[in-house]
Amino acid sequence: MSTHGPQDAGGGPPAENLDYRIAHLQDRLASGELGELGVRVDARGGSVLLTGTVPSTPCRDEILRTVHEELAGFPVHSDLVVTEASSPDHAEDLS
Amino acid sequence: MIRIAAVGDIHMGPDSQGVLRPAFETLPECADLLLLAGDLTRHGTPEEMRVVAREVQDLAVPVVAVLGNHDHHDDRPDEVTAILRDAGVHVLEGQATVVESGGARIGVAGTKGFGGGFVGRCAGEFGEPVMKEFVRYSRRSADGLRSALERLAEEGCDARIALTHYSPVADTLAGEPLEIYPFLGSYLLAEAIDTAGADLAVHGHAHAGTEHGMTSGGVRVRNVAQPVIGRAFHVYHLPVREPAASGTAAQQAR
Repeated sequence: MSTHGPQDAGGGPPAENLDYRIAHLQDRLASGELGELGVRVDARGGSVLLTGTVPSTPCRDEILRTVHEELAGFPVHSDLVVTEASSPDHAEDLS
Repeated sequence: MIRIAAVGDIHMGPDSQGVLRPAFETLPECADLLLLAGDLTRHGTPEEMRVVAREVQDLAVPVVAVLGNHDHHDDRPDEVTAILRDAGVHVLEGQATVVESGGARIGVAGTKGFGGGFVGRCAGEFGEPVMKEFVRYSRRSADGLRSALERLAEEGCDARIALTHYSPVADTLAGEPLEIYPFLGSYLLAEAIDTAGADLAVHGHAHAGTEHGMTSGGVRVRNVAQPVIGRAFHVYHLPVREPAASGTAAQQAR
């Protein structure tokens, strides 16, 4: 017999569950103004780590604003970097 | 030697104008053509694609492109394709083009491609209509790429390149979560490349992947997503060789 009823489910109410809030954040980043699919959002204990490369500084600022709004109350660490747009300094020889 | 510059996933928007142009203007010094491996915009809007068009217009080297999934988001692929073509870009979808540059005839076959996954861990054409259509769409893309590469073999090029947005191999996805590989590429593209033969395969899409890979038929694959290469573009040097030697798989297919 199962001893697990709904009252035993871990993680608290769905609205406060970090997993689901991260999933909703990623939906919002993808479908919203930014169309951003390249940002990885990972829970690290009770905080959140952002990694990835974004096309511009305004994009990064907008992502961070969205993340802080969507995940209010959770510490957010950002390792997001902006794409490098310089010419390469070497070529690869495929011979 | 043929010098191929390539980049994908530049994701340009209104705030991007002029960001890549200074680097692109150095292309004549280091490359014979520029390949754009899709996801040129963020949402596929005409406004965003006009930013891309201005960024590559009147470059001194030919520019060949495929669209990516982002370039389809606004459901106007024909319109954004026309904007690029008006800027002189060769835009390929199941098509091929031969550009003459640096004294060489360089054939490029292109398709956006699609997902589905890799051998032993891939979607099958079975079950719900939407699932079957998912796989059929991927298969149509791969068939288009194979036909385009075969046409290039008949035309006799100094080199043949397969240009896609989605990846033909899992090698260049290393760094991405394993669970999303079926959304990042399809072995059907690699099978098409190995069947028709090519000297190089170039793709984007996998921002967290790695640059280097190879098909099981021995064709080198490069993931040129801008977050991967960390530059405005990368350059690959291919030796010029006789068209008759273009791929054992192509010979077997005849």
